[in-house]
Amino acid sequence: MTPKEGNTKMADHRYGLVAVFDKPGTIMKAAERVRDAGFKNWDVITPFPVHGMDQAMGMGRSRVPTFALIGGTCGFFGGMLMIYFMNYVDYPLIVHGRPYFSPLSSFPVSYELTILLAAFGSIIGMFLLNKMPMHYHPVLKWDKAHYGSNDKFLLIIESSDPKFDDKRTREMLQNLGSLEIDELED
Amino acid sequence: MSTNTAQSAAMPAATAPVFEPVKASTMALIIGAVGLGLTIIGFFFSGQRAALSALMAFTFWLSIGLGMLFMVMLHHIFDAGWSTVIRRQLEHGLAAIPWLGVLFIPLFIIGVFQPGGVVIWKWLQTDSAYVALDPLFHHKGVYLSTWFFTLRNIFYFGSWIVLAWYLRKASFTQDSDGSTRWTGVNRKLAAAGLIVASLTLTFAAIDWIKTLEYHWFSTMFGVWFFSGAMRAALAVTVILCVVLVRYRVFTGIFTQNHLYELGRLMLAFTIFWAYITFSQYFLIQNANIPEETFFYVVREHGQWQWLGFGLLFGYFFFPFLYLLFHANKVSPGRMVFISCWILVFALLDIYFNILPSLLTADLIPIYSFLSGFLIIDLAALAGVGGICVWAYLRSYVTTKPIPVRDPRILEAINHHV
Repeated sequence: MTPKEGNTKMADHRYGLVAVFDKPGTIMKAAERVRDAGFKNWDVITPFPVHGMDQAMGMGRSRVPTFALIGGTCGFFGGMLMIYFMNYVDYPLIVHGRPYFSPLSSFPVSYELTILLAAFGSIIGMFLLNKMPMHYHPVLKWDKAHYGSNDKFLLIIESSDPKFDDKRTREMLQNLGSLEIDELED
Repeated sequence: MSTNTAQSAAMPAATAPVFEPVKASTMALIIGAVGLGLTIIGFFFSGQRAALSALMAFTFWLSIGLGMLFMVMLHHIFDAGWSTVIRRQLEHGLAAIPWLGVLFIPLFIIGVFQPGGVVIWKWLQTDSAYVALDPLFHHKGVYLSTWFFTLRNIFYFGSWIVLAWYLRKASFTQDSDGSTRWTGVNRKLAAAGLIVASLTLTFAAIDWIKTLEYHWFSTMFGVWFFSGAMRAALAVTVILCVVLVRYRVFTGIFTQNHLYELGRLMLAFTIFWAYITFSQYFLIQNANIPEETFFYVVREHGQWQWLGFGLLFGYFFFPFLYLLFHANKVSPGRMVFISCWILVFALLDIYFNILPSLLTADLIPIYSFLSGFLIIDLAALAGVGGICVWAYLRSYVTTKPIPVRDPRILEAINHHV
């Protein structure tokens, strides 16, 4: 694909710029510079997890634990309420002379529900935060997208970023040691 | 989840005090001797209660030592990476086990010979009318006999001392000759040792704690003791490592990542302890047989009930919620706080299982929780603890703070969560 530099008609269909790097160290430094330059809508694609990339990209901790905590809490109290309703309100039955409801005998079931809903919470939270399912992404249209799953490291800056400027962003990526810079279409 | 710069910043050593292990070990020995002396004085005044103080202090410190023994063996059996950094400190901790064996001798003598009519384990007094007329005792008679008790105790300490000695020797020798052979030796030792130590720990907990009330049945007791031992040992490990960072011994070696790993283990064993303790309670509550329920019924008497609730909220709920948060697991100050908290409750858990086992004829605990005897408890705790810290520091000066020639040491230092 040929670069469409200066082609103003293509501006509406433009997604952003992709820069190719060949070493994890280089892309780590590049990510730090892009982070410090104040970009918001950008991403890095690497064939394997690079340790420290979260910090280099200025990402905070994952918010999935919050979803797990909410799920777990719902599971525990939901389980307790369910057993209370069934055994105490809806269909009270004396078994072995025990009380209708006891938090002790309800605990194992509530505990299992805690684990179940905490797991659901984690999975749903992960899907929501990753905006999954996502059937199409502009990078997939690029004919060299397979670089990012083989031996190259990709850095993508979206044109929707307020700091994005076609010429200056391209220059910055070049200065960061990129081997190749290409434009992505939406 | 953090860069190298964040790691070193996470462990500030604003003013680096000088660490003098030899001086500190002398101090610990003096504290230990004074504490033991006060316990002996207490024994002449209050007899049985002081013997129980000594038993509780001994159990508490032994649980830390055994927890460390398990952590070292678990490290070897899993061929673990990151824990190589902390392993040497655990191995120094194992140096206390032979001394705990020595400290058990007076307890054993009191138990078997009952000087002045002081009774710890009433079944050791086979000629007394109480035991002689007890059909349950006669059914358990072989296990609860003096000669078998003696043999078992020799076997417990023998196996722990031999395991600790070999694990330490192989690790220390690797420091000097650098041979990877020792890693393999320790792994094989851990494979056999874990089985032996699991069994001896279980039976030791039964012999020393559970048989105080030998009418009771519980299949959870050994695991309960193990979970408490692991929690206490992890708490001591966290405190040791943070103190060593403060003394600049562990600067750049023990990082936020290792602290986070220890925090996660603490959380896991907090849940494990709750699981075991609840299972024991729940099975007994659900079955509702008097032979089993009396254990908890007597513990609902007076102050013991509040201690029971205290354990539920203080030993489980609070540490559980506290350790759920990432920020608490990476802050040295917060981790030391929760470690001290867990240690206090580990001791109270041992109290809860030992003291109310001694009952009057009306099945009411003889001793309440809060009493003037707590002074003797503190003395015994300081006494046994002083000897353990002394043993640790005496071992500490003999080697480098980390196993420098372990094949995994570089990987462990650079460990990333």
